[in-house]
Amino acid sequence: MEDKIRKILVANRGVPAARIMHTCRDLKISTVAVYSTPDRLSHHVMVADSGVHIGDAPPAESYLNKEKIIDTALREKADAIHPGWGFLAENAEFARMVQDAGLIWIGPEPKVLSQMGDKIEAKKIAVRANVPTIPGISDVKSVKQIKEWMKHDQVEYPIMIKASSGGGGKGMVKVENESELPNALEQARSEARKAFGDDKLLAEKYIERGRHIEVQIVADKHGNVYHLCERECTLQRRNQKIIEEAPSPSLNDSLRHEICFTAVRLMREIGYTTAGTVEFIFDSSTKKFYFLEVNTRLQVEHGVTELITGLDIVELMIDVAQGREFAFSQSDVHPNRWALEVRINAEDPKTFAPSFGTITRLQVPTGPGVRIYQGVYEGADIPPYYDSLFMLLLTAGRNRDSAIRAMDRTLSRNLRIEGIKTITPLLLAIIRHRAFQAGDFSTKFIENHMDELISMFRVRDAQDEALKIAEYVARISALGPQEWM
Amino acid sequence: MKNFEKKMFRPGMRPADIVKKLRELDAVAITCTGMRDAGQSDYKNRHRIYDLKTLAPYYEEMNLFSSECHGGARWHVGVMNRREDPFEEIDILREHMPSVMLQTLIRETNLFGYRPYPKNVIEYVVQRVDIDVWRCFSFLNDVRNMRAVAEVVMKRGRLFQPAISFTQAEWTTNDYYLSVVKDIVDLCAGTDEIVLCIKDMAGVGSPERISSLVDSIKQAYPDLVIQYHRHATDGLAMPALLAAAKAGAKVLDAEEDSLTRFYGQAPILALQAYLEESGINVLLDREMAEQAVQKVREWIGHYEWAESPFKGFDHTVTSHRMPGGAFPSSFEQAEKGGFLHLMPSILRVMSLYNKIVKYFDVTPGSQITWVTCSGIVNKYDKEKGEAGVQHVIKLLEKFVEEKNQDLKAMTQEEQEELLSLFATAPGDFKNLILGGYGKLPMGWPDEWVYRSAFGDEWKAKLETRKETSPLEQLQDDDLEQIRNDLGVTLGREASEREFILYLMHPKDALGIIEFREKYGDTPLVLPTNVWREGLKNPGDKVEFVFWGQPYCIELVSIGAEHDGLIHVVMKVNNKTRVYTIETPRAKKVEIRMAKGEGEIGAPINGNVWRIGNPDRGTIREGDIVHKGEEIANLEAMKMENALLAPFDGVVKEIAVKLNDSVQEGQLLFVLEKK
Repeated sequence: MEDKIRKILVANRGVPAARIMHTCRDLKISTVAVYSTPDRLSHHVMVADSGVHIGDAPPAESYLNKEKIIDTALREKADAIHPGWGFLAENAEFARMVQDAGLIWIGPEPKVLSQMGDKIEAKKIAVRANVPTIPGISDVKSVKQIKEWMKHDQVEYPIMIKASSGGGGKGMVKVENESELPNALEQARSEARKAFGDDKLLAEKYIERGRHIEVQIVADKHGNVYHLCERECTLQRRNQKIIEEAPSPSLNDSLRHEICFTAVRLMREIGYTTAGTVEFIFDSSTKKFYFLEVNTRLQVEHGVTELITGLDIVELMIDVAQGREFAFSQSDVHPNRWALEVRINAEDPKTFAPSFGTITRLQVPTGPGVRIYQGVYEGADIPPYYDSLFMLLLTAGRNRDSAIRAMDRTLSRNLRIEGIKTITPLLLAIIRHRAFQAGDFSTKFIENHMDELISMFRVRDAQDEALKIAEYVARISALGPQEWM
Repeated sequence: MKNFEKKMFRPGMRPADIVKKLRELDAVAITCTGMRDAGQSDYKNRHRIYDLKTLAPYYEEMNLFSSECHGGARWHVGVMNRREDPFEEIDILREHMPSVMLQTLIRETNLFGYRPYPKNVIEYVVQRVDIDVWRCFSFLNDVRNMRAVAEVVMKRGRLFQPAISFTQAEWTTNDYYLSVVKDIVDLCAGTDEIVLCIKDMAGVGSPERISSLVDSIKQAYPDLVIQYHRHATDGLAMPALLAAAKAGAKVLDAEEDSLTRFYGQAPILALQAYLEESGINVLLDREMAEQAVQKVREWIGHYEWAESPFKGFDHTVTSHRMPGGAFPSSFEQAEKGGFLHLMPSILRVMSLYNKIVKYFDVTPGSQITWVTCSGIVNKYDKEKGEAGVQHVIKLLEKFVEEKNQDLKAMTQEEQEELLSLFATAPGDFKNLILGGYGKLPMGWPDEWVYRSAFGDEWKAKLETRKETSPLEQLQDDDLEQIRNDLGVTLGREASEREFILYLMHPKDALGIIEFREKYGDTPLVLPTNVWREGLKNPGDKVEFVFWGQPYCIELVSIGAEHDGLIHVVMKVNNKTRVYTIETPRAKKVEIRMAKGEGEIGAPINGNVWRIGNPDRGTIREGDIVHKGEEIANLEAMKMENALLAPFDGVVKEIAVKLNDSVQEGQLLFVLEKK
């Protein structure tokens, strides 16, 4: 049975909203954007066929306002809702409400969302599917409980305290030693409550020098569960990924085969449909991988997989939502390129302090092997209420070196963003670092090399310097000769 | 005209070889002051390296002895007013005239500033400035003060050029100068590696006087090479220079004819013609010099605003002795201070003052004279008007000229007035008469000057008067500490050059560093009219090449002022940009930033969503907090950032309210250590 989708409401903003709308345009599906008050003139609203105001700036009043979004979809006569990533993407209750309203939910079934959203539950299923997991305890309430578990299971610091329903680095606190434990527990609890409305926590052994590898899965409602190979997402700062690539430079073919089919096995066990990701932590010294979690959504870094496979994952999600069977099989998936993605965040590249304001100039890179996902346009504002990610740059080449070269060109020659600070200098320093180029890094890479990376920042940029001269000319033209002259 | 070796004097030559060449040279060589003293004397040092560097290709071929392009007040004015760093000026000139010896002017222990620096600062700075010829003078002719500079320069293998400060007074006899020259020759271990400069900084030496002085030095030290540096103020520069050359001076200072006004050096082309007509060869490529003179005309018009409002030669300089460089700046200060009309009276008081306290009117002495004398005149003017000014002049005339400075010969009333004359004199004056700069050339002033300056404390003060050189008086600075302090102020490591600028003039160095961080290479790139006035009319543009790429900035429009803001629209390489310029009338929201220890700033831009922590609740002023305790939490883009107390202490102030949006570094708490 196929449900025909003619109009999709995209319950998101910025990069994910615009990304989804592009595929909709290809599929001749019209789109409805929703926006909060400060987003009235933002990029995703302009990309959509129509836009509807759904509330004020705080996410709870707009992009997390379930009733309002569903009402809007119904009123605008949309057939389906795509949640993008973040906000309501993994909210089982919302998915259920969408379906109950007679709309198509472009995502996993609500039951799967709630199962996988609970990390403890997810871990149980993983154990059942014979997937290796990290030692840890669930339902953490007190410092004492953590200490007892560590003693009993002979776990050493560092450990990680996480929100059971978390993701995206929020509600995750690393604990280096016993003295940090009380503060860390409190912070994780508070962040979890704030970000997910649920302060259930778990604690796990933290794997030092671990690498973060995930497998992209797509599954239709006809029993086809395929992997689209893995991605390497090891480079993170404050537990948020900033550079991703596919395939992973850490795996050989046999490990790749093993990790991808482990992921397929787990997703089959779950009964997963649509696009999703199985995340693993890979211990490069022992070559062992452990199940971390299932991401029940389209992910930020899905683009690198698209670049190496030639598939459009958003299109596949829409197909699955309409009940279509995949028109290809696992053996048709032939990655033949290497792809790299960097996240352009509006943050200070040294301190990661958020930088909001107006993007006064945006010159977007072009050239061979470049793909851009834009969440803003020149003149747009970056409001302080939402995520700092506003653009993704992807490059692809026949091998890792050529993808890195294209990225270097893109970041160093063509890209210009004025008015806000971005982490671009850091990204450039990382891809020029010999350890990165050798594929030798861990999730600690950025914090361990921060001083060195900062020292690699280009001190002066020709265009920036020329603009300082222009700034002076403007000033003196307006004010005339100055007293100090 | 004789055929001379091309590029005879070059950087890298050993001092002994330079001196040997000069001794053997059958001609007078020229130091061109077009890049420093010409600008300092008639244009307040405002000539920008952007324009000066256009002369460099000609200098390269002119066969100069040296180009005086550095030091004196040019350093400080560059930092303050032109926003040029003296190091980058050297870089630029080295690039454009690699074969020309670069010359500086340094004020012995006062270096490029106005106060004595400790020995280790002098050594540190002189070691790191890439200059070939070091002209060093003392406003007291206290040769002891030159030691630190001489040692470093000579050890580096650069040419040391000790200068005797010259003026015309009854006490500045040939014998006096010979005693100074003797000290210099002793300091420099002979005459083989130095060039002696006679520094006639006010332009007061009559042809006869200079001839006699050069002659007597040559008789005492036949091998000593003499250079004569003379300002034109009295109108007699040319005959005096000829007289010096005839008496045996080997190097003369001159500047482009097109730069000459009234207070700088003699015109180079005219000087060459005049000397040659008198039978003296001149080492100068005339054709190149003519082109340099012509080049100046292309840009000198941009500096009319910087010229002294006091025009014309001034032969009374022989009594008031204000030096060339101080002339325009004094008039500028008088104009700014609204007492331009008092200038003749001030000059008159100066000519009487310098008979009471004897030293040479050149930096920093000229500033001390100026501030002291203009202070006295202004004080009388404020209290009693024009009559008061005339009164004090008459009083001093009577005391100095009639009574031969015999205090007792004055009436009781006059004595009392004189005894309060220096009560409000500047600190530098008081430091000077207490020996802070070194020995005065003719000994200390009379006792009444101390009574006048220090009142009841004069005896105690007099006991602190020092006879030693400041080199021995001053304790070394802790350079690493100063460098660290600068780093803390800048929030980054200071470069070597920034550090040296800071050592010289701390406040102004911070000014240029801030300016250059904001406006980059603007001072080096913009033509002078745009630098000073910007673009005026829509369609006006400025074009330049920057780091290998062409740029064009075109003015589209300048908006009207609104709430203190002006919007300027320009096209930068064809792309339209709008600039919002704050006028001094713009409303500013003052944000307090965390500075010292105990002031806790925001780690990020964000929202203060909690003050205190969940365990103890809200923290209030007066509460005690413990090291590592969370005292507030900031949220931005959905991430929390705990702010921890850096030490045990008491909360003295909480500078924000709950839910305030704060910017990075903004003051949140003031803690007092327990």
